[in-house]
Amino acid sequence: MKQFWDTILNVPVPDPDDARRRRLLNILLVGTLAATVIGLAGILAASLTTGQLKAPEIRLLLAGIFITALGTLGIYRVNRHLSGRWAALLYLLLLTFIFVFTDSPAQLSNGRSLFLFTIPIAISSLILLPEASFLFALIGSGIISWLALSIQQPVNVFAIIGFLMLALVSWLSARSLESALQELRVINANLDQVVNQRTKALAESLRRERIEAGRNQAILNSIADGVIVFDRNWNAILVNPAIRSLLDLPPEVIVNRNFRELIEHPNLSARSRGLLYAMIEHDTQPLSFRIEWGDKTLSVSAAQVYDLREEGATSIGTVTVFRDFTREAEVEKLKSAFVAIVSHELRTPLNAILGYAEMFREAVYGPMNDKQVNMANRIISNTRRLLGLINDLLDQAQMEAGKLTIHMGPVKPSELLEHIHNLLDKTASDKNLRLTSEMDDNLPETIIGDGARLEQILVNLVTNAIKFTEEGEVRIRLFHLPEFRKWGIEVTDTGRGIPHSELPYIFETFRQVEEGATRTHGGFGLGLAIVKQLVHLMNGEIKVASEPGQGSVFTVTLPLVTP
Amino acid sequence: MNELALIIEDDLDLADIFAEALRGVGFRVDHAADGKKAQERLLNGEPPYLILLDMHLPHISGGQLLTDILKKDSRFEKTIIIITTADARMGEAYGDMVDFVMIKPISFVQLRDLTARLRPKSSPNQENAA
Repeated sequence: MKQFWDTILNVPVPDPDDARRRRLLNILLVGTLAATVIGLAGILAASLTTGQLKAPEIRLLLAGIFITALGTLGIYRVNRHLSGRWAALLYLLLLTFIFVFTDSPAQLSNGRSLFLFTIPIAISSLILLPEASFLFALIGSGIISWLALSIQQPVNVFAIIGFLMLALVSWLSARSLESALQELRVINANLDQVVNQRTKALAESLRRERIEAGRNQAILNSIADGVIVFDRNWNAILVNPAIRSLLDLPPEVIVNRNFRELIEHPNLSARSRGLLYAMIEHDTQPLSFRIEWGDKTLSVSAAQVYDLREEGATSIGTVTVFRDFTREAEVEKLKSAFVAIVSHELRTPLNAILGYAEMFREAVYGPMNDKQVNMANRIISNTRRLLGLINDLLDQAQMEAGKLTIHMGPVKPSELLEHIHNLLDKTASDKNLRLTSEMDDNLPETIIGDGARLEQILVNLVTNAIKFTEEGEVRIRLFHLPEFRKWGIEVTDTGRGIPHSELPYIFETFRQVEEGATRTHGGFGLGLAIVKQLVHLMNGEIKVASEPGQGSVFTVTLPLVTP
Repeated sequence: MNELALIIEDDLDLADIFAEALRGVGFRVDHAADGKKAQERLLNGEPPYLILLDMHLPHISGGQLLTDILKKDSRFEKTIIIITTADARMGEAYGDMVDFVMIKPISFVQLRDLTARLRPKSSPNQENAA
């Protein structure tokens, strides 16, 4: 129904003001037509009952109505297909023309029908132009004046003034209506623009997000490591395809499931299951460890994800990365097997060389002259050096493999010093150096530590000091810092010292301060690196202070534990 | 007759050096070159006064010989046991079960001096033994 009226009333033109006016005009036209039809029916009915159909007034009236109906239809066509303005003008003129004949000139100019002329004034401002109300005020005024004059009556000045006032009011209200509509349209247009912009921006950001997400997905899909992302409750929310080959499980089986279900999988060794449960329960992250999954060894790295936008940065989940470590684990196993073999196979023949050389020196099979004894001594000292180098290499290899461990037990510092003197007094005196040692009085008689490793630290430091000192002394001091519950070893020499530029590197593996020092002094430069690693294994620290030409001081500080 | 020392060592050169050191201080020396021979020798032969036991042996390890025979059989109650190993940790692990632990490399002089002290005071000295 509404659609029917809309097709009848609306005129499709681009200018919204024109469309509005033409629609209004169409409504008026339809109303007028309806009025003519009703009027016609009323007149016909009344005339038939009274039998006055043939009276000339009635005929005139019928003709008027008929003309009005025809005019209305014509104007409708004009309004629809030609011009709203012309149609409006024609309509208003038609109305005015009809009004002239609706009553006696006296009534029209000065009586009850005077108001009829106000209708075109009011309507014209709405359907033609705001200013058109003045035109029709003038036309109305002209008509009533002419009618008054035609019946010799005075011109109705008040009516004319009234018409003009009405025209003014109509003009003002129509104008303000139009400008209000105009503003509304501007506001609407602006609003449309804003909505368009927002829509476009939203579409753009959606598109970008999709690209970003696609890129992240592509990265995740193409990395060889298996990635599982868990939410705060350890439900898997994201699984990449590489997981399939690592765990032999399709990602669909893992995603949306709790990690605990995966941990119960029979492929996991009991030890690995324990590690994974520990990861879930303790949240000690970031961490990295190895698990056995079937015949594979996998390294697991886990890191919590924090939402940085949130205050206090609470964890929103965990990213775990699984990497196939099977080959590396095998290599490591081979390496430690190699280390074990080397430690046995290299040391055994050296032990034999050492033993036979000692037998020479001890003249087991008969007397030896001095030169022969000297030669035997050289064989012995070179063999010992070679053994020392092999031990250093093995220690280094074990430390790299994380195999070297500290075995705590009771240690007597005084015995440590005694051993060092037994071992190295001769080395020092061979170079005409004094090797002295002292011990803080308040150092406990027995402490807890790894005796063998402490001795190794001392031997390495003192051997190093002797090696690089040409004259003077090497001093060992065992000190006690009761206020910090620490104790330590200090080895001071009067050697050539270490250039300041080299100090930061002297604890590095295979490092010797000077080019060619290896040739002069032997060794791989592993001694200090091993000392540093041992000290770290014991939760201690090592420092060095040195002045070139004056000597060096190595200070090891260790936590003090007493039995 | 001088005390018997049994050297259980698979490296023949080392065994030779150890034997020389022990003989030097007056021991009679017997040698088993692997775990199986050592087992046979221990079960059937004269219980030694002193055993120098290598922990790394073919067939039967030094540790096994130690726990399965030497520590079970009452015939070895008085036997002095010295274990030899290149692995300080293994030395530590068995340290409580034996009299001495020697970490390889083992010096001829060191072994000679140690075992000299282990001979009974009344025994004939080196010169006499030779």
